[in-house]
Amino acid sequence: MKYIDLPSLGRRPSTEFVVAGILDPEPAQLNDISPGEWVFNRDSLPMRRTEWWYHTPTQLWFLVERDTATDEVFGVSLAGDTADG
Amino acid sequence: MSIRLLKYAFIEDWAEPRFFNTPNELAHSYDVVIIGAGGHGLATAYYLARDHGITNVAVLDQSYIGGGNTGRNTTIIRSNYLTEEGVKFYDQSVDLFKSLSEELDFNIFYSERGHFTLAHSDATLRTARWRAEVNKHYGVDSEVVGPDEILKVCPQIQLDCGGNHEILGALYHAPGAVARHDAVAWGYARRASEAGIEIHQHTAVTSIDMEGDRVIGVTTPRGKVKAGAVVSAVAGFTPTILSMVGLVSPIEIFPLQACVTEPIKPWLDTIIVSGSLHLYVSQSSRGEMVMGASLDPMELHSRRSTFEFVSNLSDQLLDMFPFLSQVNVNRQWAGMADMTPDFAPVMGTTPVRDFYVDAGWGTWGFKATPISGKTMAATVANGRDDDLITGFNLARFGDYELVGEKGAAAIGH
Repeated sequence: MKYIDLPSLGRRPSTEFVVAGILDPEPAQLNDISPGEWVFNRDSLPMRRTEWWYHTPTQLWFLVERDTATDEVFGVSLAGDTADG
Repeated sequence: MSIRLLKYAFIEDWAEPRFFNTPNELAHSYDVVIIGAGGHGLATAYYLARDHGITNVAVLDQSYIGGGNTGRNTTIIRSNYLTEEGVKFYDQSVDLFKSLSEELDFNIFYSERGHFTLAHSDATLRTARWRAEVNKHYGVDSEVVGPDEILKVCPQIQLDCGGNHEILGALYHAPGAVARHDAVAWGYARRASEAGIEIHQHTAVTSIDMEGDRVIGVTTPRGKVKAGAVVSAVAGFTPTILSMVGLVSPIEIFPLQACVTEPIKPWLDTIIVSGSLHLYVSQSSRGEMVMGASLDPMELHSRRSTFEFVSNLSDQLLDMFPFLSQVNVNRQWAGMADMTPDFAPVMGTTPVRDFYVDAGWGTWGFKATPISGKTMAATVANGRDDDLITGFNLARFGDYELVGEKGAAAIGH
């Protein structure tokens, strides 16, 4: 079982979470691409990136930095606590 | 049946020749370079030679033949899809599969079993009716059946599924079949190789060489190769290959896991799929129960297996077939599924000239192996999308013209 270390709750099993994908740039920050490309296209390369994770029992959103090649987690923060959250 | 099999019976010292050539050197240039020696890549090579006379072709693979998703799926073949594009496309695939053993003179163990997609709710039953009507309209054998008919074919099934997910009916698709997936790749490899096509295993493509807006070749650790056209047929590695030519796609990579039990006496003659229980199960010709579930819940570029998968799958399976609690799981594995938002593939031409893509095969690629090879070969030979796959072009996302095949996915991903 994979566990996630939450800032205030400690170790929780990953099955308690819904992963909602990569933290995307907001549409307002986009210049060069069409709306269709923003809606559908994904940078799905193996890489280290920040993702939205929803913790079902507490109904809290977290930002998780994870490597999509190794599944290693580098950092977890409560969404809203960071400047870009 | 494959006529070749008879030789084993009647010629005492009959020995098989090598399956495919293993040329020592990469040539300086090829008319077509296909990246990925799985079923799709090898089928494309085969049909390029058979239908279009193009044999100066190299198939490159970073690993071995059929070692990716071709050898990792649960071998189910069906055509009971939901959209016009999907039904027509997969129906031709089933037709090609039926005669593939003769075509390749190699027994692929094609076995028609019938395919039940169980409905545990009114909503699922409604989608089943919709699919059945679309299928019938295009001449595909498909109908909604009640619990009695399911019991007739599979008397072992517990219709109440532990009390939580009572089975109300099913979409029954008589042509549903299984086949030996390795044999499909090997058969295509052998016939392509006989036609003069080179298969280079353990030859990864590290970059794709471009001149302006067109591809001119590929770079491998064994050297540079010039190519008139490059076809990417790499399933879970598609985003990496696309990034080499500066393309972005909606494809996301999720692991899809499967497992087999120890062999047991034959008891399940059909294929059972339940979207609500996230489960599909059939029995192989060796007697193993072949089982799969839904995708892993998060994107990952890895083929690692997890215990959660087997434990969740067993939990659901035992609701339906409690007597299997005595059976051990023998092996489990994972493949990297290249998922698209509309559960339809991405095929054909791209904005990069002479670069073709056969991807977005997610959890539905094996059943499309022959027809995707045939249509991709026609697309490469003619330089434009084959009529059967125009709806699957990468450009559909930017144009908001999605195919909408999610309702016909085997299980609710």
